[in-house]
Amino acid sequence: MFKHLFKLIWNKKKQNFLLMSEMLFSFLVLFAVFTLLVYYYNNYKKPMGFEYKNVWVVNYNNAYKATNTDSLTQFYETLRQNLKALPDVKEISFCSDNVPFSQNTWQGSVNYKGNPVGGVNQYTVEDSYKNTMTAELLEGRWFNKGDVAAKNRPIIISSDLKEKLFGNERAVGKLVGDGDQPGHDKNAMKIIGVIQGVKAKGDYAPAGYAVYHRTDTGSFHSLGKIMVQVTPGATAAFEARLYKTLANYMKDSNVEIEHLTSKRKDINYFTLVPMIVLLIVGGFLVINVALGLFGVLWYNINKRRGEIGLRRAVGATGNSVSSQLITESMILATLSLILGTFFAIQFPLLNVFDLPASIYIVAIFCSIGFIYVLVFLCSLYPGKQAAAIYPAVALHEE
Amino acid sequence: MISLQNIEKVYRTNTVETLALNSISLDIAKGEFLSIMGPSGCGKSTLLNIMGLLDQPSKGAIKIADQKTDHLSDKQLANFRNQKLGFIFQSYHLINDLQVLDNVELPLLYRSGSAKERRKLATEALEKVGLANRIKHFPNQLSGGQKQRVAIARAIVGRPEIILADEPTGNLDSAMGNEIMDILMQLNQKDGTTIVMVTHDENMAHKTHRLVRLFDGSQVQ
Ligand SMILES: Nc1ncnc2c1ncn2[C@@H]1O[C@H](COP(=O)(O)OP(=O)(O)OP(=O)(O)O)[C@@H](O)[C@H]1O
Ligand SMILES: [Mg+2]
Repeated sequence: MFKHLFKLIWNKKKQNFLLMSEMLFSFLVLFAVFTLLVYYYNNYKKPMGFEYKNVWVVNYNNAYKATNTDSLTQFYETLRQNLKALPDVKEISFCSDNVPFSQNTWQGSVNYKGNPVGGVNQYTVEDSYKNTMTAELLEGRWFNKGDVAAKNRPIIISSDLKEKLFGNERAVGKLVGDGDQPGHDKNAMKIIGVIQGVKAKGDYAPAGYAVYHRTDTGSFHSLGKIMVQVTPGATAAFEARLYKTLANYMKDSNVEIEHLTSKRKDINYFTLVPMIVLLIVGGFLVINVALGLFGVLWYNINKRRGEIGLRRAVGATGNSVSSQLITESMILATLSLILGTFFAIQFPLLNVFDLPASIYIVAIFCSIGFIYVLVFLCSLYPGKQAAAIYPAVALHEE
Repeated sequence: MISLQNIEKVYRTNTVETLALNSISLDIAKGEFLSIMGPSGCGKSTLLNIMGLLDQPSKGAIKIADQKTDHLSDKQLANFRNQKLGFIFQSYHLINDLQVLDNVELPLLYRSGSAKERRKLATEALEKVGLANRIKHFPNQLSGGQKQRVAIARAIVGRPEIILADEPTGNLDSAMGNEIMDILMQLNQKDGTTIVMVTHDENMAHKTHRLVRLFDGSQVQ
């Protein structure tokens, strides 16, 4: 019977072409949607890499007119003491502008054994950063005062970068070059630790590659954020007090306090909106395709009433007629899906968007499953209708 | 072979009720070649469809090969048609997207058997109707007479005991019509197949063993 249906489909390839293109097209759209969904979901499943609750970010601009670096350091060290003296402040840490969940990004490259890796987020942080952020150390140690004297500039890297550079090898102790020019700047930095990657762009974005640099004496010139970890019970009244302390101390500066919890919501929204738009567009497309498919199948069955009557006359039961029609649709879907998979598989093969192959594979399977279910559902009702056609009536009509 | 008792068929549409068959009783013996005649709309096709279990009578009972048919399920009916009956229609009802051989194999797809066996039986059936050299053709590459011969091959491929033919020569000129008639008569004489044929052609009808005339749903002869 299978071979028989194949022949039937093959001999009607012209009529089936449209239907197959429609299935192919919807497969490709679904593939795109699922790739994005799987990608977001994979990112979402991964740990945030730090504790953002009860962490506030103080934005300021360095408006203090210091005569020299020492007095600048003095100025901010005093501020640190003042802030730490506040009752609800547990830990504070000055850092570069690219705090988690902000739109600020600072990227550079590193190279190892002649292989450059680009798109590496660069963070300048203090020794207290780890505790302020509750970062998770996977290997080695965090910065400490002893690092001032180090021969090679000490850095800490994220788990993703570690895996990219060294795979399963240990990273601590290895020397990597700064920038993407192998040889130039070679062996400039020494890895002293690896931390769990921080999803700095929210739940749905990858943690990505990151290098943490330790602040040095001149760093206060360029820092613009203070991360403040507060006690869980910190109130709005306390926030007001914190604000007052900051504003009074940095008279010439614009001070603003943000909560990482709300920054997280904002940035998630920022990634989710395009996805929702895509989902809506994809959803409409799928509905369209489903209706089209349903219509074409319905039309085909009505066009084939004579054939259906004949099959019934020569011994087909109602059920076998309806399963024949459903099987035909499924064969058509299979042919389209084979073609579609051929196109889709090029993405991981050619590594088009630098996503892990597993994401594409899962997306391909999801799309295949979706198309099969869609085609099955769309042919179910026309198939049932066909089963109900009375053989005498169907034969009568031609 | 076929026994009809007080068959009545009423078609109901929204507005009208048509009494297509009115109390028809008929006994057809095994090996008989029977023809049915009557003006258009008198119920010939309806009667044939009921005999072929393609349609159900509003009243009355049908026995085929000594078997009552009123209680049969859809599956049993389909099986029955497949095993015992062969159909030939005025408009051939070939599947245009299938080659001649595949068209002829069609009834065999609904029973068990290997592809090789199906092929063999279909080729034999086509040889019987003299179309062995056309098995790879598509129906629209054939003449009307050839199409009807394919339809006959399809009707006989499953070796049914009964063939029901609804105006098999209705669309053909007299030469082709006679060819078809010869094939049917041979099937009847050589293989002992029981044949019921609806026709408008007196000459054809007179070649058969018995003639039944219908008028307005009733048997008049
Ligand atoms: N499905 C149907 N619904 C309603 N009425 C029908 C249906 N099929 C047939 N009839 C009516 O039943 C009557 C008999 O129809 P039938 O097709 O049996 O005639 P016929 O003798 O075969 O005619 P012809 O020689 O033109 O083929 C006609 O009046 C027809 O209109
Ligand atoms: Mg008729």
